[in-house]
Amino acid sequence: MMAIRELKVCLLGDTGVGKSSIVCRFVQDHFDHNISPTIGASFMTKTVPCGNELHKFLIWDTAGQERFHSLAPMYYRGSAAAVIVYDITKQDSFYTLKKWVKELKEHGPENIVMAIAGNKCDLSDIREVPLKDAKEYAESIGAIVVETSAKNAINIEELFQGIRPVVLTVCQLPGNSLISTSAASQLMALPAHLSAAVRPPAQQI
Amino acid sequence: MLARNRPRGRRVPACLRGLQLGLQRAPSPDPNRVPGGVGGPRAREAEAKQPAQASRAYPTPENLPRDPEPQPARASRVRLFQPPRRTPGSAVGRRGSLWERGARAFVLKQERQESPRTELRSSPGQGAQKTGAAAPRRVRGRSSQVCSGLDKLSDRSFSWLQPRESPACSGASLGEMSAWTMGARSLDKRGSFFKLIDTIASEIGELKQEMVRTDVSLENGLEHAETHSMVRHKDDGYSEEEDVKACARDSGYDSLSNRLSILDRLLHTHPIWLQLSLSEEEAAEILQAQPPGIFLVHKSTKMQKKVLSLRLPCEFGAPLKEFAIKESTYTFSLEGSGISFADLFRLIAFYCISRDVLPFTLKLPYAISTAKSEAQLEELAQMGLNFWSSPADSKPPNPPPPHRPLSPDGVCPASLRQLCLINGVHSIKTRTPSELECSQTNGALCFINPLFLKVHSQDLSGGLKRPSTRTPNANGTERPLSPPPRPPPPAINSLHTSPRLARTETQTSMPETVNHNKHGNVALPGTKPTPIPPPRLKKQASFLEAEGAAKTSSGGGRPGAGPELELGAAGSPGGAPPEAAPGDCTSAPPPSSESRPPCHGGRQRLSDMSISTSSSDSLEFDRSMPLFGYEADTNSSLEDYEGESDQETMAPPIKSKKKRSSSFVLPKLVKSQLQKVSGVFSSFMTPEKRMVRRIAELSRDKCTYFGCLVQDYVSFLQENKECHVSSTDMLQTIRQFMTQVKNYLSQSSELDPPIESLIPEDQIDVVLEKAMHKCILKPLKGHVEAMLKDFHMADGSWKQLKENLQLVRQRNPQELGVFAPTPDFVDVEKIKVKFMTMQKMYSPEKKVMLLLRVCKLIYTVMENNSGRMYGADDFLPVLTYVIAQCDMLELDTEIEYMMELLDPSLLHGEGGYYLTSAYGALSLIKNFQEEQAARLLSSETRDTLRQWHKRRTTNRTIPSVDDFQNYLRVAFQEVNSGCTGKTLLVKPYITTEDVCQICAEKFKVGDPEEYSLFLFVDETWQQLAEDTYPQKIKAELHSRPQPHIFHFVYKRIKNDPYGVIFQNREEDLTTS
Repeated sequence: MMAIRELKVCLLGDTGVGKSSIVCRFVQDHFDHNISPTIGASFMTKTVPCGNELHKFLIWDTAGQERFHSLAPMYYRGSAAAVIVYDITKQDSFYTLKKWVKELKEHGPENIVMAIAGNKCDLSDIREVPLKDAKEYAESIGAIVVETSAKNAINIEELFQGIRPVVLTVCQLPGNSLISTSAASQLMALPAHLSAAVRPPAQQI
Repeated sequence: MLARNRPRGRRVPACLRGLQLGLQRAPSPDPNRVPGGVGGPRAREAEAKQPAQASRAYPTPENLPRDPEPQPARASRVRLFQPPRRTPGSAVGRRGSLWERGARAFVLKQERQESPRTELRSSPGQGAQKTGAAAPRRVRGRSSQVCSGLDKLSDRSFSWLQPRESPACSGASLGEMSAWTMGARSLDKRGSFFKLIDTIASEIGELKQEMVRTDVSLENGLEHAETHSMVRHKDDGYSEEEDVKACARDSGYDSLSNRLSILDRLLHTHPIWLQLSLSEEEAAEILQAQPPGIFLVHKSTKMQKKVLSLRLPCEFGAPLKEFAIKESTYTFSLEGSGISFADLFRLIAFYCISRDVLPFTLKLPYAISTAKSEAQLEELAQMGLNFWSSPADSKPPNPPPPHRPLSPDGVCPASLRQLCLINGVHSIKTRTPSELECSQTNGALCFINPLFLKVHSQDLSGGLKRPSTRTPNANGTERPLSPPPRPPPPAINSLHTSPRLARTETQTSMPETVNHNKHGNVALPGTKPTPIPPPRLKKQASFLEAEGAAKTSSGGGRPGAGPELELGAAGSPGGAPPEAAPGDCTSAPPPSSESRPPCHGGRQRLSDMSISTSSSDSLEFDRSMPLFGYEADTNSSLEDYEGESDQETMAPPIKSKKKRSSSFVLPKLVKSQLQKVSGVFSSFMTPEKRMVRRIAELSRDKCTYFGCLVQDYVSFLQENKECHVSSTDMLQTIRQFMTQVKNYLSQSSELDPPIESLIPEDQIDVVLEKAMHKCILKPLKGHVEAMLKDFHMADGSWKQLKENLQLVRQRNPQELGVFAPTPDFVDVEKIKVKFMTMQKMYSPEKKVMLLLRVCKLIYTVMENNSGRMYGADDFLPVLTYVIAQCDMLELDTEIEYMMELLDPSLLHGEGGYYLTSAYGALSLIKNFQEEQAARLLSSETRDTLRQWHKRRTTNRTIPSVDDFQNYLRVAFQEVNSGCTGKTLLVKPYITTEDVCQICAEKFKVGDPEEYSLFLFVDETWQQLAEDTYPQKIKAELHSRPQPHIFHFVYKRIKNDPYGVIFQNREEDLTTS
């Protein structure tokens, strides 16, 4: 049995930017029927083999509306990475993104890996946010940046693949408790846990 | 000999010291609790009666238990003694009288007169009884306890008598069956019996070859032949022609008496061969000195796995070879072998019989394989590792005894005998298939291997000779036809004969205690009359007891008869075995199928062996057992549900039958048998469940350190409602306690057999967590709920929620940000039902599962077949809407309960996600008004959330006290405001001065110079000097042998140091 590392990834961004579309695309491409699906799109998992390990992304979607903003900390706490999504056709969503980055820097987990996804790049003719801006900003905060299209499955895989190594490096840092080696054994037990305790209802319903 | 016990004994991990401190009543010697050892007054009283009882051939009303003990508990202790009979007829008569007298439940305990354990020896009536094997003997006075008023139970146990009457199915088939079932074990979870068969088929072929001899005798259909073949291998000196004859008709009972199954031997002696902490070198060193075939199980540091080290004969070149043991989620198997086993014991037992991937079969050390009683085994086991260097582990003085031939293939009459034994843990007799067929209710005594049906069918076609047992006796007492809906709990103690376990069962508040043999013994004259403090002393005591027992029983060498002997007899671990028998009956036979899988019971026995159950709980457990994984999982927290298991038992057999018949083309007759056989599967209890149950029992046994911890904590919580300042505080403490106790359990040796031998390593934590829910949360559920409610009433959040719920309910979905289809009235009702079910659960995991079902339902409604996937943007508003519609204030406490108590490792998963969402939704509702005004949640809520997450993630990974070492809980006392507490991050090197500063900040104290940090301990207040280190003080307090209750309190210096704090009337209250 391969060791399973779990990577909690949190999705942030304005409502309507396509957060869940990105996850759905990511999770549903190469859909593995052996993996019992989650009950809904707000929380999805995807397991990716990596060397002699399996990496299991636990993707926590958040509600982007302002009124739910205050709940976000509960979702991003403990995340190894945050994917912050904006809509390249909406300047506002880019501002919101900056707010998220700021909040994460202040209140988010230490060493959280941030990835910026400019979604809807298939609509670049009505683009409001130049890629250059995004890149500059990402560089300034040390984040990964990529323009994606959930609709056309562009760069989705790359986005998550990009997160992985960074997360793993970060995890090696001493003092990072997110996915430390000591936790690895416990994490290994997790899938069974889930399948025993959490999954069945999902399947039954 | 003590050496083994002590170190293994109650290691109290440092982390637990804190626990003790947290408990007002720490486990400590309590004269009331442990009077004169284990038994308690009742036990002693019973004990006193014992000699008289022992001399009685049959239970009579006087020796029946009088206390209104719960049936299951009693049944589990039952000793059934089956009198050997020469003719069925006479047996019936006897039995009838038994029944008439109300002695209903028995354990099949075969005791020959030679048996050192028999009380008869010391009892007055001994002579008479000794006269013949045929004379029915009451083996143990205590067995009387047995008898129960429960007809069902009694029927069941009665039926147990039947199988024994016949010499039966071959050892080979037994053995194979066991292999088969063992393999099945691994598969049952997956529900694929199919695979199982495929896997095993080849193995069976092999076995069959190896057992040609058996087969032949079987095929001849000669019961006699078989009996004799068994007899042949009997230990010398024990065979009596008489018995042999009796066996032919009767059960071969005597021929097998005193025989312990391999599994049994393994279970008893695991301290010898199961050496997980042993290094490769040490293991090699030990094995070098041993003859080929001897083995050890230890943990390889190289492979990070358990390995089976096998001593090889010289021809093999290397002196020994290691075989890695593979642990999958549910099973144990040898690397390279297709056969999986539910636990380590079965695995080893199997390889003692069949070599499979090994070069030859395993061999038990001579002393172990020749031990004649559990007591002897126990004695050996006490030596632990020292066994290997002790004289006990010497070669047989004579050429190897007949039953332990050294033939290289390990197959031979001897192994045949052992095959029989493996099922009949306690010398259970085999019988012919036909008899099995008839005795449907009892099933238990052996397995029928469906693959040997050729053999069986012969029997069948020959007309079923229904054992007399089936038909109502002359007395009419017996009702074999009504299938007992559920069997008496398996009395697995036998397996655990270890004194520790026995002890366990005894003395708690549990009713069954009294009946336990062991206890009885303890109370006996010679034994330790002193009050025994939980861990160590008790252990020692029990050890003594066991030792005494062993002595008496093993040699019979003690000249002095009388109580001492009796003590030995009763106390001997051997005493326990009989208890196992009721377990056999445990599996509820499908009511309808007349011919109940005979194997069922056998299987049961096998599977139960490894656990000791004695409590009433076991009954409940058994009931849920047939549910299999799927059902059981969902129900287990409701396992108190009654009666449903019976119907469900039916399903699996049928299913499996179909499957099987499709894979084998079998005649009808055979099919029907298979169907019966398949019932065996319904009796599978996962090792996980057995373990959970075992731990739950342990937790009720105050004789164990663990039991003390749990019981004391539970009662402490229940009695001290004021000990927590807030709901969170309370739940957190409980969670912390569970985590620490889990830690303790995984390190301590109180679990016997060790959890590692039953549960694959990656599952241990899961199993322990479940056990914690059962033994801590279950009893506390009511209290916790009440407390949560009180807290919420007190702090006004209940009211706030109530008002806001009303407001929110009046809004239409769009106002709440809902832009997806919402559940209609009917759906909301469904959801409410689920939430109500949730309230009945005590396990946070089960609750979360129901929450997930609710969420799933919501998704279904939202998606409404549109195929659209909804993310959190849409889901959260709908969830909020739904929760408001449900209008259940209790949800608030439910969510809180789950959030604080859920296993931290689950917090990142799906359950954690939706729990977070539900909490978020409730927060939104609670703050609805505020939100209306500010369109934002108050920062307070945000803080709460943040704190929650911090808390929960802190102890997520390393559940040990170290996690908490950087935290200091400080109470803040103010006039009129009572006490509020906060947990502060205080590193060990932080001085009191710094802590005061932090406190001033946290508690928003305006005039910090007026305040100081105090330590309240032993009813006194001490102001801490500025340069002291609170964490060090805390550590010191924790490390004291006696638990202390202490609090760090931040309060006004002016206050009376002796606890009257509410003096400064004019103090304005600072917020907490």
